[in-house]
Parts: sequence; structure tokens; C-alpha cells
Amino acid sequence: MRLAQTVRSAAFRLTAAYVLLFTVSVGLLAALTYFLVVSRLDLEFRNHIRADTHTLSAEFAAGGPKQLLRAISERQHNRTAGGLYYSVLDSNGLALTGTAERHSCEAGWFEVVGPPDGDEPSGEMERLAVFATPLRQGYCLMVGDDYGKVRGVGTLVLRTFGWVILITLTLAVAGGLLLSSRFLKRIDIINRTAEAIIEGDIRQRIPRRAAPDDLDRLAATLNRMLDRTNDLMDSLRHVTSDIAHDLRTPLGRLRNQLEDAKAHAGTPEEFRAAAEEAIAEVDGLLSTFSAILRIAQIEGGSRRAGFKAFSLSRLVEDVCESFADAVEEASKRLTAEVAPNLAVNGDQELLVQALVNLIENAIAYTPQGSVIAVGLQRCEGRICLSVADNGPGVPETDLERIFQRFVRLEPSRSTAGNGLGLSIVAAVAELHGGAARASDNHPGLRIALTLPAA
Amino acid sequence: MGDILLIEDEPAMADFIVRSLTKEGHHVDYVATGDAGLDRALKFNYGLLIVDRMLPGTDGLSLVKVLRERQVRVPVLFLSNLGELDDRILGLNAGGDDYLPKPFAFVELLARVNALLRRRVQTAEQIVLQLGDLEMHLVKREVRRQGREIDLKPREFTLLEYMLRHANQVVTRTMLLEGVWGYHFDPKTNIVETHISRLRAKIGADMVDTVRGSGYIIHAARSNG
Repeated sequence: MRLAQTVRSAAFRLTAAYVLLFTVSVGLLAALTYFLVVSRLDLEFRNHIRADTHTLSAEFAAGGPKQLLRAISERQHNRTAGGLYYSVLDSNGLALTGTAERHSCEAGWFEVVGPPDGDEPSGEMERLAVFATPLRQGYCLMVGDDYGKVRGVGTLVLRTFGWVILITLTLAVAGGLLLSSRFLKRIDIINRTAEAIIEGDIRQRIPRRAAPDDLDRLAATLNRMLDRTNDLMDSLRHVTSDIAHDLRTPLGRLRNQLEDAKAHAGTPEEFRAAAEEAIAEVDGLLSTFSAILRIAQIEGGSRRAGFKAFSLSRLVEDVCESFADAVEEASKRLTAEVAPNLAVNGDQELLVQALVNLIENAIAYTPQGSVIAVGLQRCEGRICLSVADNGPGVPETDLERIFQRFVRLEPSRSTAGNGLGLSIVAAVAELHGGAARASDNHPGLRIALTLPAA
Repeated sequence: MGDILLIEDEPAMADFIVRSLTKEGHHVDYVATGDAGLDRALKFNYGLLIVDRMLPGTDGLSLVKVLRERQVRVPVLFLSNLGELDDRILGLNAGGDDYLPKPFAFVELLARVNALLRRRVQTAEQIVLQLGDLEMHLVKREVRRQGREIDLKPREFTLLEYMLRHANQVVTRTMLLEGVWGYHFDPKTNIVETHISRLRAKIGADMVDTVRGSGYIIHAARSNG
């Protein structure tokens, strides 16, 4: 089971492929080496015999058979020629020296098989390669040598390579098994963690190792992914319960109003008034729903397909101009400091809504006489759109929270609003590849959107 | 002329629309499927189609696309449950003239129905809009009342133009937000109100009335008539 798994593992297969490749290349190298060594040795072997034959032929030409035989016996005595075998036959085919028996004397190579002399593989006869040369008056000179020398070197080359391949194969297979089993063990751990998460233990994480390698990086990435998924699930849970919570209050109010009207309203006017109150309550609920849907749509990112480059400067001026009177009516002042010709690539409608939400947030949470300052300028290569007021501001600890859904800081919730306005702002900023940040305006609240410039 | 065809698959919604519009003096035909709606729209000459976007069989978008391909120019008002960003654009691209997300206030539907029915009569390219003694020159961008020039800011000019194009009919706050500002969401701040009151102050309070619970209406000054 375990072995079968190992053999099927990617690491093992990779090792096997490399071993095969290595074996084939060593085999090729062996063949090449064998061929080169043997052919070179063969050439030298034959040259050596030919050269001696040449010298002896010259001796014969100079002094006839006598001088030839003397030269041969000198060689045999001194072993100067490296232990060659010599035979000289007369015209009748009788050996004057040596053991060769041959009746014809054609020039060229032939092979003689003789009794083993010890340097050949066991059970094989000694093989001599002999070069025959016809001389004048019917004499025949034969010079030979043990061809086993050449074959022996070739065999040695092959045997050496054979061992190399064998040892390498053993090491590679053992190493491959070891590596892949270690690899498998860690894959197994990842697998078990994933299965535990599927089973429901969503807090499980893949254990990390001290040495950061590929698998460890993978484990880290998977863990981060799990964290992110977890966060999303958490926020989903929160949102669901927040929605339920936030809708229960107005629905309860609505029910009370209708009950009250049914019990106490007597005249058509009273019923009409009750109906109008109920409609207003329902409209509030609907606007909350529409805001929730809109956030979901913005976060879905599908609006990105319709992004266009446009002048954010003009948009901001436009909104400020439209809202100036309304802000004044609320006994506050709206100022705008807008750098010209700043363009972004985005969704005009959503950016208008984000800015309007920021201005309305400032109107809702500042006392009369406050100044709401809208600013648009370049900052660190990006574009910063800010709305700042000099109202009471937000405690340092709550600055991050105000973008969360349904968060309204005053516990009484007396101010109208669904707690989604700034969530929409944050979602719009994120959709545009930017971010929304809240900070202390000393005094007051300052919210800035940083957006990538077009 | 003036007959309305409602194509809506939700019986309660259809009943509400038919009853309310009939009470306002409109004649409304009603079918529940896209196929039946397409059939009727091709056969009869309606003044306005109210089309739900999601319909069994042929859906609202395809229905209007087919009508436009066959050169049927009847004004179309889309209704939709989805009522969100992309759907409006899809509806208008398919050849719809206006778009109303459900649920809606009836006054909103009525104002849009009246505007679309009226629009058919309107000639396409006008250079001068006139209402009583008020005159708006669209090219020169001048407004005069009783010959006296009135200085309007660009937004006020657009607002007056929109109202003059819908003269003598109720325009709702949402219609103005969409038509004059291009806002397709509901700001809590009543910027429409502040702009209307400024416009009133400039052209004269006797021309612009507030219709409680519905919107605004512009008409020729009665005292001078």
C-alpha cells in the first residue's frame, strides 16, 4: 500500500525519469568509450605487427633466410618486440621457426586459435591475430600477437561502466524512495489537515517547518487562504445577524403602528395618517435593503467592466455645487478645494454616491455651524478625495469600525440612517483599487479615499 | 392612442397597477407572459408598454429587443425586482425608455407613465422652449420672462429645461434626480428641494407648484393668463 503510493508519487516518478535518463546517457558514453578505445588499440596492435614485419622483411632482403632467422631469435631472446609470435616457412611449407602450419602464404591477416595462456576469459582459447607476408624464393613470414590484449581492455571498459551504472541505479532508486516518502509524508499532513477542515474543524492549519522550502511556502499560502476564507465566513455570519437585528427594530415599530391604528384610529384621516407612517417605515426598510444589495453588487466587482476614465475634479465640483445650498440649510458650511484635471478610471455613478454619502455623513453627525471641507488633490502618485469636518469626531478606537456594516457609533441610534453609508464608501473605494481611511481631523473626523490615477 | 399594455407575471402587482392606473383615467390591457405581450404589442398600436424584466417565456429584455428590431417605436417602461445598477443599463440598452425598480410608489409610476405618454407628442429637436411668458433658448442658453433675462446657473438651467419638457405634468423627485443630476440612488439630503426653491426665486414662485407627496409641476402663471 505504502510502496504503491510511493511509486505513484510525483517525486518518485521524477526520480525514476532522471535515473532512466542518466542510465541511457551513461550507456551511450560506455558504448562510445568502448568503440574508441578498442578501435584505437586495434590500430596500434596491427601497426606494431606491420612495423615489425617490415623490419624483418628488410633483414630477409639483405641477408636471406639466415639473417631473418637470426633477427627473430634475437627478438625472442631479448623480448624486444614485446612478445610477438614469429613463424617462418620455407617454400615447402615447413616451419623454420615457430609453430605455424600453413600451406599457402597469401599476404594479409588471419586468425589462429591456440591453447589458452591465462589472459583470456576462462573456457576460451587464446586467439592470435597473425599477419602473413610472402618473401622471395617461396619463404613466408608470419608475425602474430595475442588479440586477447585488445579484447581484454574492451571488456574492462564495459565492466567498469556496468558497475558505475549499477551503483548509480541503486543510489538513485534508494534516494528517490527516501525523498518521495518524505515528500509524501508532508503531503499526507496537508491532506489530513484539509480533511479535518472538511469534517468541520475549520480552525485547523497546516503545520509549518523551520526550513522554508517549496512545500512550506505552499503550506503558508494555504494557511493564509484558510484565514481569509475564515474571515469572510465570519463577516458573512456577522452581516446576517446584523441584518436580522437591524430589520427587526423597524419591523417591530411597523407592527406596533399598524396594531395601534387598528385599535385606536377611528376617522379616515387617522387611518390615512397611520398608513403614511407605515409607508415611511417601509420606505426606510426598503432603502436599507437596497443599500445591502448595492454593497453586494459593488463587492461582486462586475461594475469594473464598465469603468471609464473621467475627470474626478469636475465630478467633485459638481456634487459640491449641488449640495452647497442643502448644507447651508442645515446651518453648516461646505467648502471645496479641488485640484483641476484629476482623472480616474472608474464608475462615475458610484463615486458620486460615495462622495454624497461622505457629505451626508458629515451633515448628520456635526452640530450647527460646523464646516465640512471637501478636498481633492494628488498625493503620492495617487488621488486623494477627502471630506473633513470640525465636529465632535470619532474616538481613536472606533476609526476603523465606522466602515463596517450597520455600525452606528451613538448607542441611541437617534440619527436617521442605516449604518451602511460608509460601508458603501469603503466598497466603492475598494472596487476602484483604492482604500478608505478615517482619521482624526483635530478636531473632527476626516475620511479620505485614495484612488489610483487614470 | 393612450392605451397602455402591461406585461407583468405577478398577479398582485399587475392588479395593483391596473386598478390604480384605471382610476387615473388610463385604459390598461394586461397579459402575464412575454409571448402574449409580444403578440399584442405587434398587433395593436399602444401608447405605452409597461414591461416587467423577468417574465416566463420570452423575458422583458428580449421582448423589447424584438420590438425594436421590427421598428416598433412604442415607449417602454421597464419594471424590475432587481432594480440595481447594471439592470437599469441593460434595460435601457435593450431599447427601454425608462426604468422603475420595484417596489415603487404609485405616484412615481404615474408620473413616469404620463411623461412617456406625453413624450410621443413632443417634437424631437426644439431650440426654444416656451411656457406662458417664459422663454428658454437652448442654443444661446438664455432664459427670459416677460422679456427680462434671468441669470441661471448651469444646474438650474438643466433643471428648468427638464421641467419645461415635462410642463403641466408632475415630475417626481426621483425623476429630477435621474434626469437632471444623473443620480440613480436616493440621497438623504433634499438637493432637489433646495434647487427648486432657488429656481422659484429666480423665475417666479407663481410658475412652480409643489404637489404634496408626489413632486413638482411647472405651468404658465395663471394671474397673467
